[in-house]
Amino acid sequence: MMREALTIAVRTAQPRIVAALAVRFRDLDLAEEAFADACLRAAEVWERDGSPSDSAAWLYRVAERFALQILRARRIRGGLLPDAPDPEPTVEAAMCDDASLIPDDRLRLIFVCCHPAVAAESRAALTLRLICGLSTGEIARAFLVPEPTLAQRLVRAKRKIAEAGIRFEVPEPAAWPERLEAVLSTLEVAYARAHEDAAGTGSHAGFASEMLGLTALLCELLPRDPEVAAFAALVRYAEARRPARVDGEGIMIPLSEQNPALWDRSLIGEADAYLEHAFSIGSAGARGVQAALHGAWCSRLTHDDPPPWPEILKLYDRLLMFRDDPFVRLNRAVAVAEVYGAAMALADIEVLDAARLEGFAPYHAVRADCLRRLSRTKEAIAAYDTALALGSSQAEKLWLQRRRDELR
Amino acid sequence: MQYALLLYEDETIYGSDRSGPAVKDLLAKHVALRNELGPQRLFSSGLKPTEMTTTVKIAEGNRTVHDGPFAEAREQLAGLYVVDVPDLDAAIAVAKKFPLLKNGSIEIRPLLGAA
Repeated sequence: MMREALTIAVRTAQPRIVAALAVRFRDLDLAEEAFADACLRAAEVWERDGSPSDSAAWLYRVAERFALQILRARRIRGGLLPDAPDPEPTVEAAMCDDASLIPDDRLRLIFVCCHPAVAAESRAALTLRLICGLSTGEIARAFLVPEPTLAQRLVRAKRKIAEAGIRFEVPEPAAWPERLEAVLSTLEVAYARAHEDAAGTGSHAGFASEMLGLTALLCELLPRDPEVAAFAALVRYAEARRPARVDGEGIMIPLSEQNPALWDRSLIGEADAYLEHAFSIGSAGARGVQAALHGAWCSRLTHDDPPPWPEILKLYDRLLMFRDDPFVRLNRAVAVAEVYGAAMALADIEVLDAARLEGFAPYHAVRADCLRRLSRTKEAIAAYDTALALGSSQAEKLWLQRRRDELR
Repeated sequence: MQYALLLYEDETIYGSDRSGPAVKDLLAKHVALRNELGPQRLFSSGLKPTEMTTTVKIAEGNRTVHDGPFAEAREQLAGLYVVDVPDLDAAIAVAKKFPLLKNGSIEIRPLLGAA
């Protein structure tokens, strides 16, 4: 019971507390270490005395004290005299604790984690760790790398931030375009990874709500930026569909076959508002079209409504004007198969740069589906096997496996 | 923090004559940047071409003298600034102001022990 309360408190409070400590002390390791110490202390004290009325505030207060202690210990090692230790918080102080008093420095920390001087491959991982509170193991699974590799990457990124003198501030407006692009593309990668990983388990509910909060925060800070608003819309559309993404057996349900009755209508309403705002303040670029694609999918209201394939295809044509790469063309082919038939889709796929798509499981899955529709069963099975061998999420594998088995 | 800003360029863009109007104009721009940086600039200088470079190699206790730079590369170290600025963003801002003849890269390295 107590364990559960602590787990929930840690999950929800961690990013905000770590961000506040990191910005205050300009030290990511110190912030994480102090927060971990506070959690250990909580396990002890809450077991004995019961959990405090505001657990986040309690964790913040104790973590802050640990951070000061660690700093003091460092100063003693450095040969300087220690300050007098802080008094233990009294019962009265704990009663007055209020989590709303913890400074919200997450936005500053996002800009630190997504600084262009941090290796691109590490930015998303660092953001998931510090801003979204995912464990190293969870992030490693999402990125399909061994946990020690990912841990190493985080250590290197944090060292770079400390040693290269990256500033713990939101950059000044002149630097916005470049810095914001780094933030948005990092959040996109982070979100895509976690979204993928979450398909089967649903254990990332906390992460998802963090992402909703983060994008809302970015929109608040930059109300006139269409790309930010479009990204906020995209995340909401995608999150709204989460309850319909897997069936009772944990098998993925493709977007076109999901039951819209299970989608979160209020979240879709929020997304619609963000998207409308994005288009009203300027060209939202590729992100605007991508959000519009999600919006088109979410326009279905009942299971009987057919997917709006012609509109989807039109939007992919528009997306190509902003971003013409094999990945967009592959997605477009899925819509082509529905509107003009599998033969035409397959012809479109065959001219794509296979070298770039070879290791990408959806490439083989889409090809397999076209071949299946054209009754080229043997080739379809081979393509399904390649897709399965490349590996994606468990839910997707189960779905591919079922499709493949249907062909025998 | 103190940073070294190391400018790399393909030195062939200067051709054989390094006293033409384009180079004079470039030097004038560096003087302007120096003035703008004021006390933030601790040191700066351009470097003579790699033709003038001599390298002392130390391997297994042997010290040998060689003609030319230690490694052949498409871009060569052409000059450096050492600046004392609040943080990396400020150092990046200085690097972005570098006047260049054509293309080049500026490597930003924090100095060891310079907090």
